[in-house]
Amino acid sequence: MVENARSLNLVASAVLFLGMLYILGPLYLTLTTSTQSYEFMLRNGLVWYPGDQFFTNVIRIFSETRIPQQMANSMVVAVGDAVVTCVLSFISAYALVFFPVRWGSVVFALILATIMLPLDIRVITTYQVASNVLSPINALLDVTGLNGLIANVFGAPIAFEWSVLNTHFGLIAPLVAHGTGTFLFRQFFLVLPKDLVKAARMDGAGPIRFLFDILLPLSRPSFAALFVLTFLGGWTQYLWPLVASSTPNMQTAVVGLARLAPDMEGVMPDFPLIMAGAVVVSIIPLVMIAVLQRYLVRGLVLSEK
Amino acid sequence: MNAIDTRIDTAIRAAASAIVLDKVSKSYDGTTQVIPPLDAELRAGEFTVVLGPSGCGKSTLMQMIAGLERVSGGTISFGARQVQDLEPKARGCAMVFQNYALYPHMSVFENIAYSLKVAGMPKPLRVERVEAVAKMLGLSDLLARKPGQLSGGQRQRVAIGRAIVREPGVLLFDEPLSNLDAQLRHDMRMELAELHRRIGATTVFVTHDQVEAMTLADRILILNKGRIEQFDTPKAIYHHPASVFVAKFIGAPPMNIVPVTGDGKVLRLADGQVLAECPVFGDYQLGIRPEDILVGEGPIKASLRYREDLGSHAILAADLGGNLLRIATPFGADIGVEANLSLTFPPLRLHLFDAETGRAIPGAFSAQ
Repeated sequence: MVENARSLNLVASAVLFLGMLYILGPLYLTLTTSTQSYEFMLRNGLVWYPGDQFFTNVIRIFSETRIPQQMANSMVVAVGDAVVTCVLSFISAYALVFFPVRWGSVVFALILATIMLPLDIRVITTYQVASNVLSPINALLDVTGLNGLIANVFGAPIAFEWSVLNTHFGLIAPLVAHGTGTFLFRQFFLVLPKDLVKAARMDGAGPIRFLFDILLPLSRPSFAALFVLTFLGGWTQYLWPLVASSTPNMQTAVVGLARLAPDMEGVMPDFPLIMAGAVVVSIIPLVMIAVLQRYLVRGLVLSEK
Repeated sequence: MNAIDTRIDTAIRAAASAIVLDKVSKSYDGTTQVIPPLDAELRAGEFTVVLGPSGCGKSTLMQMIAGLERVSGGTISFGARQVQDLEPKARGCAMVFQNYALYPHMSVFENIAYSLKVAGMPKPLRVERVEAVAKMLGLSDLLARKPGQLSGGQRQRVAIGRAIVREPGVLLFDEPLSNLDAQLRHDMRMELAELHRRIGATTVFVTHDQVEAMTLADRILILNKGRIEQFDTPKAIYHHPASVFVAKFIGAPPMNIVPVTGDGKVLRLADGQVLAECPVFGDYQLGIRPEDILVGEGPIKASLRYREDLGSHAILAADLGGNLLRIATPFGADIGVEANLSLTFPPLRLHLFDAETGRAIPGAFSAQ
């Protein structure tokens, strides 16, 4: 290994370079396209050199499309997803690790199962539930025969209905049901010294004080890492916001970008406008990563002393 | 020692309470008992070391005293108060943990002050207390540091400071020295002895290290499979071990134990060699400490197998009728490497144990 370091480095660098080309090529094309005008693109197609229409395109994004409103939606969804996921994951991992929960390992296995069954797979059933959150109660009433009874007495069965489609809550809630955060916190809690809990108890701190005074400050890097990851996940969600929101005002920015291309056949989409939109929409997650990447690494490494 | 120091000393000394364990037992599953009903009385201000091999229940016993584990039966009293159903904070005891268990995100000051803060003590009073404790332990310059920036010995001192700042009536140590290197362990041992002399807290110290037990303890409680083998002063335990288990556990190298048979006049090995005079019949175990065996002219014959020179003395491993016999020769003794040794077992240094129960038979030799 050591004596081959130089040639190995060369190969590694070459592989890395190819990988960068593969990823940066389309990105570069996005940037150059966003700086051309629609007419220029119709005449010349996609080109590899920049033009001078970038700001015009960006202004059009803000004045002619619903992208700004949809970015606000994205923000609500991403922040909501990240905050709620962090809080829920932290609390559930706390319960699983520090308390003798009956069937704790089964609960943990079920939580992990959500990682193996992502939202994309169960999108149809999730849509059904979201379209009527109370449908399980209806089903229960039907199965137990209670509804038959009610229909006999009152003349009609009961059917509850509460749809969360096309609401921010409906956009966020299914994204939150995800076990990665619980897993992350659980692993972090497990590497903490066992005697820490006992020491806190000897010092007179109950479970709540331990949670706030000891566990929360120690978990800060994990929180930051999980926040960034779920924020990015929420911001870039496509499938669920697409099916769960029906009006442009409720759609998220990523869905809105896709909708900028006209559905009509034979019309060339306004690619410069779409690409300028893509650049604008990407800025917020980019800033997020730039600010928090320090914590991202520290939180995932786990071994902080 | 300044005025505030003295106040903390006297406060702890005044708070020190006796610990009475009355039929205390512990069982995790209701059938197997980790600790069968156990009685002991630890006097106020006494330094008690709980000694035993790993898995003997000594940590469980300590956690029951601390209130971190519930007792399955019996009562624990601190002074006149029954405490077995109280939370740790209500018991007025403090604990020092094996791996310190300091809060990594808090400074030394915050670590020591945390229990006072939880108890709702006003800040000026807190600062005064912590500073007094820090001064007593030589931590005054380190108060702003985080535990990660401290050495092992310093962390240990912070852990002790965190324990004594509340002026506890009972101070518990859970193998606190096992993470330190040999030199530091020696130094901390002296510091602990010194600290105990100053503050006089009732102290329970759990360890599996017999040297720590012998040097620190007023009395040693030797635990084996949850039962008390012996509870006495280090001197008494060394000179009059109550059982084979204790005899083998205390002393380095441990006491030699050989099976013997008594014919009413003498004790013989299986091969017929006479080891001592004793008017008993039947099978027994005879014990003698390596350092009590005299080498030179003597009636008992053994063959030398191996020799370890330690500078101050040498440890000989000999074969006595098929049994391994360790002998510690005194300083300067010039023992050749000849294969055959002539030994004397001084009668007053012999210990006789029951062959089956392993309990000591007192007065077997002193009566002669």
